[in-house]
Amino acid sequence: MAQKLSTEEILKLARKQTGATQPASSNPATASSEAAVPASPPSVEPSKPAVAAPKSTADILAAARAQSGGAKPAPKTTAEILAAARGQSKTAPVAETKAVGDPVAQDPKSQITEFPTAKEMVDQLKAGAKATVSVPPKPVVKMPVRPVKPEVAAVSRRGVLSTICGLFVSLVASPFALACTTLSAAAGTWVLAVARFMFPNVLVEPPTRFKIGPPSDYPLGTVSTKWTAARGIWVVHTDQYQGKDSIYALASVCTHLGCTPSWLDGEQKFKCPCHGSGFYITGINFEGPAPRPLERVALRIAADGMLEVDKSFKFQEEKGQWEDSKSFVDAALV
Amino acid sequence: MDLNPHPNLTPSVIFGLGWLYLVQFLMNLGWTIRSYKKDGDHHLPGVLGGGEVPIAMWWGIYTAFLAMIAAAHFTGSSTPELFQIGMPEFLKPIIDWCVANPVRFFGLSLGSYIAIVRLRLVLARETPGWLILNGALLFLTLSMTDYDFRQIVGKPDNVPIVAMLFIVGFFTWLYFNRANENDKRIAEGRPVVEADKNEKVLTWPDLVYSELICMIAVTAFLFIWGCCLQAPLEEPASAVKTPNPSKAPWYFLGLQEMLVYYDPWLAGVVFPSVILGGLMALPYIDFNKKGNGYYTYNERKFSINVFLFGFLPLWVGMIILGTFLRGPNWNIFGIYEYWDVHKLEALNNVDLSEYFWYSLGQARPMPAPGMGLLDIAKTILLREWLGIVLTIGYLAVLPSVMASTIFRTFALRMGFIRYMVFANLVLMMAALPIKMVLRWAFNLKYIIAIPEWFLNV
Repeated sequence: MAQKLSTEEILKLARKQTGATQPASSNPATASSEAAVPASPPSVEPSKPAVAAPKSTADILAAARAQSGGAKPAPKTTAEILAAARGQSKTAPVAETKAVGDPVAQDPKSQITEFPTAKEMVDQLKAGAKATVSVPPKPVVKMPVRPVKPEVAAVSRRGVLSTICGLFVSLVASPFALACTTLSAAAGTWVLAVARFMFPNVLVEPPTRFKIGPPSDYPLGTVSTKWTAARGIWVVHTDQYQGKDSIYALASVCTHLGCTPSWLDGEQKFKCPCHGSGFYITGINFEGPAPRPLERVALRIAADGMLEVDKSFKFQEEKGQWEDSKSFVDAALV
Repeated sequence: MDLNPHPNLTPSVIFGLGWLYLVQFLMNLGWTIRSYKKDGDHHLPGVLGGGEVPIAMWWGIYTAFLAMIAAAHFTGSSTPELFQIGMPEFLKPIIDWCVANPVRFFGLSLGSYIAIVRLRLVLARETPGWLILNGALLFLTLSMTDYDFRQIVGKPDNVPIVAMLFIVGFFTWLYFNRANENDKRIAEGRPVVEADKNEKVLTWPDLVYSELICMIAVTAFLFIWGCCLQAPLEEPASAVKTPNPSKAPWYFLGLQEMLVYYDPWLAGVVFPSVILGGLMALPYIDFNKKGNGYYTYNERKFSINVFLFGFLPLWVGMIILGTFLRGPNWNIFGIYEYWDVHKLEALNNVDLSEYFWYSLGQARPMPAPGMGLLDIAKTILLREWLGIVLTIGYLAVLPSVMASTIFRTFALRMGFIRYMVFANLVLMMAALPIKMVLRWAFNLKYIIAIPEWFLNV
């Protein structure tokens, strides 16, 4: 009994005692048979003859429950235990009359000391060869009946008032409330400061409205890339979109993930270097993962006869917005 | 004087390759000694005169051959136009043809993966492993004589990726080597290696010393690397200027490849999150208690294969594809092919709804401008109903079908919720190769295409 056993030996011993046939670990095809034989639930263990040594904490607890069981049902759920504790701690007048007889149940400290310590459990495990483990019977907590709250017959007006006042004081003047208020004020200020950053005094970026020269700079069938690097647009003059001779400006942003495609003059297409999306000269997508055509930006003839781009307006083909007269300039009219 | 701006061989290249051959010579010298001590003799075939010779003899011949090659490089570097040792020209187009196509590349990586698993008992032995390493090194050294290959592999960005390939190969080999040993022991009913070594754990000074030595070695290696290879810095970034090709960091090339087949929100957000969440969920999905703390293949066939399939062909394979084969305009180029910006590849793609409605001889119903939200939704649903039904069926119906067929035992063993999580993870993983095959076979762009709402699957 006093002999020291290694963990491995203990496990071996435990396995032998449960008598479970150890599955041959070498067979890889046992997955199906394993699945068919579900692991026996630990709750079955206590009903077995007492020879079986407990294996896990769950088993020990189950054993304890089984031994103590019967006449005095132990509390099972957390709710019950809580209810018991509540009933004991409250010095309600009702509790006196329906005092719980069991002294063990009344003193929560004594309950705790009754449980085996971890060391005891391990000792018991090591002495597993011994037939029964003398698990101390679990102290039975008799369920006290929850004290019935006395009916509040009538609330006086002064009572209500003082309650409200108390509530107010605790909400505003207590240290906790003060801390909360300060915190929310600080957080609110911070949020406002962040919001202020969204509206800078000086905007260091190119203007969204700019002139790009007369229409004659953009002959038919060409894509001008001269504004791409600085302003992120291509100026296209073509009659391939619905057979209309028109000039329009395409935003140089791939509709897949936002890279800048390259205009390949020989292949007459925009080709994205990131994932290989391709667009016709019209801006319509035809290859690669881009889900929709390139976007147009607003283009018009200004009063001085120059073309003027306004990047703050976007026109999406799939929404039918390319019909909008602001999205292109009719080359026949200029 | 040679005025070719892209010379395959230059004096410095030849001289450098001489060093590479010298390293291989030294490696094989060591291996020859090891072979002489360990491998024993073998019987010569009658043609060669019969008799017993040590196996190390063959390694000795190979080693001497490498020494001669190295010497040839050192002495012949002054006349590159006369130098003949290198990747034969007739092989280059064949190798390019094999890899410069997504279908063949994916088939190749899948085939190698299957070969690794099927031939694990042979490949994971020591001599075959050494042969594979020698083959890979020889291939690399020979290919270095090609200008375009050098441009890709020798790029400072890509050097760690080449190293990574060797490391991945080594650890895959190591895993199978250990697993084979344990599987044999398990089949014979003996304890696994790790259980045999369980008696004592070496800590001081053994572990600490080896850690110190590793630390110093790695530091020295990083110093040398930092001194010899310049950092691959480029010009300042600009939002309107995208380099061609634009490549993600090497560890994200799998994601970038995924983005070729999927919409950004799926391939860039949903799938990465699912990959991370799925990896975290693995221990809770796995119900197989075996293989815990020791190498094994036979006891964990399914899990090992799922992981290796996801890691080798789908992740590492994609990194190789993205690093070495994707060129300008994200076209695929062979490893010996010039990166021509104007290379043309027909990649016209069609949505599933377009296939469906055109096969009916009708135009796709499109929401007209000025429609109410409800009408737009109705039109889109009508247009995309087939894709929506297919997608929902794939993710919602297929798990139940699999539960009653191929994953019967799994479903029983796991319980409903666990099985559903498992089945959906497997289906999402399978979605990538499925979509890739659909793209290659039918030019299918999106199964559900709702660009109006930025929702494409």
